Amino acid sequence: MARTSDVAAKPAAAGSAAARAGRRAGRSTTIRGTEVRTAYLFVLPALLVYALFMLFPFVTSIYYSFTSWDGVSLDLPFVGFENYTSMFDDGELFGAFRNNLVWIVVGTIAPVAIGLTLALMLWTQKVGSLAFRTLYFLPYITPVVIIGIVWGWIYNPLFGGLNKLLEFIGLDSLTRGWLGDPGTALAAVLVAAVWGAFGFVTLLLFAGLQSVDLSLVEAAAIDGANWWQRARHVIIPEIAPVLTLVTAITLIGGFAVVDFVLIMTGGGPGTASQVLGLYAYKNGFQINKVGYGAAVSTVITILTLVAAIAFVRLRERGRDGG
Amino acid sequence: MASVPAPAPNLYSPPNPIRRVIGPVVRYIVLALFAALTLYPLLLVVSTAIKNPADFTVDPFALFSSVRLENISDAWTVGEFGRYFWNTVVITMPTVLGVVALSTMAGYALARLEFPGRNLILYAFMLGLMIPFTSVMIPLFYQLRDMGLLGSLLAVILAGIGGAAGYGVPLGVFLMRAFFQDLPHELAEAARVDGASEWQVFRKVMLPLAGPGIAVLSILVFFQSWNQFLMPFLFVPGQENRPLASGLYLFATGRTQDYQLIAAGSLIMIVPVLIVFILFQRQFVKGVTAGALKG
Repeated sequence: MARTSDVAAKPAAAGSAAARAGRRAGRSTTIRGTEVRTAYLFVLPALLVYALFMLFPFVTSIYYSFTSWDGVSLDLPFVGFENYTSMFDDGELFGAFRNNLVWIVVGTIAPVAIGLTLALMLWTQKVGSLAFRTLYFLPYITPVVIIGIVWGWIYNPLFGGLNKLLEFIGLDSLTRGWLGDPGTALAAVLVAAVWGAFGFVTLLLFAGLQSVDLSLVEAAAIDGANWWQRARHVIIPEIAPVLTLVTAITLIGGFAVVDFVLIMTGGGPGTASQVLGLYAYKNGFQINKVGYGAAVSTVITILTLVAAIAFVRLRERGRDGG
Repeated sequence: MASVPAPAPNLYSPPNPIRRVIGPVVRYIVLALFAALTLYPLLLVVSTAIKNPADFTVDPFALFSSVRLENISDAWTVGEFGRYFWNTVVITMPTVLGVVALSTMAGYALARLEFPGRNLILYAFMLGLMIPFTSVMIPLFYQLRDMGLLGSLLAVILAGIGGAAGYGVPLGVFLMRAFFQDLPHELAEAARVDGASEWQVFRKVMLPLAGPGIAVLSILVFFQSWNQFLMPFLFVPGQENRPLASGLYLFATGRTQDYQLIAAGSLIMIVPVLIVFILFQRQFVKGVTAGALKG
């Protein structure tokens, strides 16, 4: 399994840069000149493709968000902050935002809780650990579109496995068309997304556990700490960096989710499972409110960047402390 | 506690003898439960893909009640999944090559060469790691339309390499830069002292050492490009150039619900990833782990 010690190793690289600069100082300026030229030649191709297909549309998106462009007409009417102010009167946007919050909270806590439990169980498991780990990882490499389709079958009101299971255990009253019921649509999509994500969390946390000092855990056991106390007070603090990392990745990605919802419910029934990303998609591609869709996209960008930067800060602070 | 601790105690066995048995049993039950939860949807795809149509009408989602392998070839030809498969190959292969080539060079320069603006360029790439596809999809659509690329496979290839969907050069540069930083400095310095040009140092000294990093990156890009849904769905609307993911989605949401062909098509899509996963499990896991540490 991969080691995660790279996380801790990163800051050390900064120190060697100074040493290298010192070594370089003695060399003649012509060598420095070719080095700089080579460096630009090496960086330029990647930078160009990146600027053209990522940075440029990113900037354009912000520009569009200040217009009321419909995607068709030749002129882009500038409207200032109107798209942003009109968001406060947009009920569907608020619904999407609320669903997005549910998505982020549940879609982060559930896979992390499941992944942590399984990783801890597999950590000291001697028989079959690799087989279990490989198996749990399979959903993560399964394409989202297939996850969406097959869970749609499981939720199928006529012959889906979930209703059959409920009938079998005598809970007939609970059977329903899970994706077609406004009360359960979002939860049903979330379950499929959690199914697709927990193996990834398990893998990363298991890798993180490999660097935990076993003697600490043994000492706690000898001192009479039970399973929960050892996990809570000894093991989890040891893997805190990886735990924060997986939490952050699942959380940050949650702001921009589109594919699961688009594939499974299209945001429906009605707008019951609408999320921000899909709402931006709807505005930009289906109802020709490109400017407004771009504004929603920009809100997603801001939320994502704030979360990502907060996480980077948090991690740096953790490093300084340790 | 009367018992003397054994040299290597089982950390999850409390001293109480009853709990010593219950602990592992509970653990196995939980592990097995999640194994079943993991397997059921996957087996459902395989089982549906090879089901006999007559049997299908009786109970569509009973597991492995009959076997008819012709469904797969039907999906390949009648369902057009053969065409979608090749489209996916034509998208994925140049994407992997492009990301690897561009990121290896840029990652090397950012890790090992010194030049003005290095940090600025590095931060620009890091920004690209954080911006989600959702944030660029709308303007990118119109940009590709204006460039005359919309609907072509090149649209997905170029935007993919650029990093719009998360597996492009920002990720590659980040991984390759970290990889080159970890390589020892002495070899390159020795070559420079011997009069090698910067290009020769890269080509003859550093590149031969970059194999493991390139392998990890290739597999990471391969699997994300192969599995991606939204970008080709948006930028390649026509049937001609459709890859597997959007082909499957549009087939599954079409008017006729041919579950067996959908399942067979899913199998066609998932098998290449599974083969790569089995063959290169170590690099695969390393790539996913390293890719996750990108923050």
